[in-house]
Amino acid sequence: MAGMNVVGVKFKNNEIFVPEVLVAARAMNQGAALLKPLLAAEGAKASGRVCIGTVKGDLHDIGKNLVKMMIEGKGLEVIDLGTDVPPEKFISTAIEQNCQIIGLSALLTTTMPVMREVVEAAKAAGIRDHVKIMIGGAPVTQAFCDEIGADVYTPDAPSAAEKAVELCRQL
Amino acid sequence: MNRNMKKWLEELRQSKTKKPLPVLSFPAVQLMGISVPELISDSDLQAEGMKRITDRVNSAASVSLMDLSVEAECFGANIVISDNEVPTVKGAVVTSFEEAEALEIPAVGTCRTGIYIDGIRKAVEKISDRPVFAGMIGPYSLAGRLLEVTEIMFLCYDEPETVQLVLNKVTEFLIAYGKAYKEAGANGILIAEPLAGLLSPSMMDVFSSPYVKRIVDALQDENFLVLYHNCGNNTVQSLDSILSIGAAAYHFGNAVSMKDVLNRVPENTVVMGNIDPAGELRHGTPDSVRTAVRKLLEECSGYSNFVISSGCDIPPMSKWENIDAFFDETAKFYQEGVLKQ
Repeated sequence: MAGMNVVGVKFKNNEIFVPEVLVAARAMNQGAALLKPLLAAEGAKASGRVCIGTVKGDLHDIGKNLVKMMIEGKGLEVIDLGTDVPPEKFISTAIEQNCQIIGLSALLTTTMPVMREVVEAAKAAGIRDHVKIMIGGAPVTQAFCDEIGADVYTPDAPSAAEKAVELCRQL
Repeated sequence: MNRNMKKWLEELRQSKTKKPLPVLSFPAVQLMGISVPELISDSDLQAEGMKRITDRVNSAASVSLMDLSVEAECFGANIVISDNEVPTVKGAVVTSFEEAEALEIPAVGTCRTGIYIDGIRKAVEKISDRPVFAGMIGPYSLAGRLLEVTEIMFLCYDEPETVQLVLNKVTEFLIAYGKAYKEAGANGILIAEPLAGLLSPSMMDVFSSPYVKRIVDALQDENFLVLYHNCGNNTVQSLDSILSIGAAAYHFGNAVSMKDVLNRVPENTVVMGNIDPAGELRHGTPDSVRTAVRKLLEECSGYSNFVISSGCDIPPMSKWENIDAFFDETAKFYQEGVLKQ
């Protein structure tokens, strides 16, 4: 997993690119899948759980996939809800699976408002105090994050993974 | 209208008061009171939309729809269409080398390509005061839509022969598609290759640039220009590869600094970009757009080969007051420069 930190830094510095990160993350995840039963037998647990998806109306998923793999590379468990995910699915998954973080991705300007709906639905469900909401995607900005009341915006996958670990430590 | 496009481009480069050349077409839906599904399925509406935009804004050229689903749909991809957003592709058409081998190259004119070609034919009849550019996807971006965009990234390592087989087929199709636009009277095409913007420079050398070059070599001449668009974040690192394709001009997105690009591009090569279409033109305000335009022009107008543009396709529901501010601030900036001289 330490290797993925190097991958993240090199990606941020434009020394390696999306295909290389995906291939490295796949190798790490396949290795982790072999080790997981052994670690579980020793009593080791993932240091946090995140549900992630591309919001309703949006089918783009390469950014979400990249973030998912990098978060997994940091030792967190990720529940991938896929694309076109309605707000209620994020909320029910977060509750049922005890997720510390909901991760939302959008590429389309018209689907960004769904992120606000997720924030509102989390408030209505009474989970806002113990579930953090992270957002990202090409048109998403810090200003938009502040406007809708999400917790964290990150501009790239390595930053998202670092932030997810930090949030799980705090919770 | 037939034009000497190389001369047009050189005049644009040498002009002291450069008109913007944004990728502006989908917001026509607001001017016409129609939906995106109506616009993408009717050549008369497409031509009328382009005409309405040229009547409203003082652009260097008219640019057709950047609809990156048209070509994939021709190859059998599932398309998802919504009222206010550009169509997107869902799922994969090719999932193995055998399926890549069996993939048939569709005839140009089938599916919506026929509508888009007709749209250009009708647009050039309506628009005579500036060149008309058709829009077309790039080969790697199209191959990605057929193989699925995450999957193609793995396949470039795991099964490069599958990717290259698909690339050869889509390139053959895109050359024929570009020729149809040329015959319809377009003055050029804007090739959008955003997916290649995620590749390393060395992978771009293998999986994108040679195929784009093939298209450029087959289509570009004195009267027909190829503009290359890539809004990925690796374009500065990949400039040598990108410039090797030999396009007439290059259009970059807001993920990169235009100044960084301009510092590495020969001064006789026109470079366009890169006001944030989502953050500014869709979600900004006239004031924020004016600030962004002025900042970009202050940084880059000193480069004679810089032409201001949007960083990518301007979304359908972008506010027209923002688009108007983009043009107005650009005109004001250059006018102030002329007055100072």
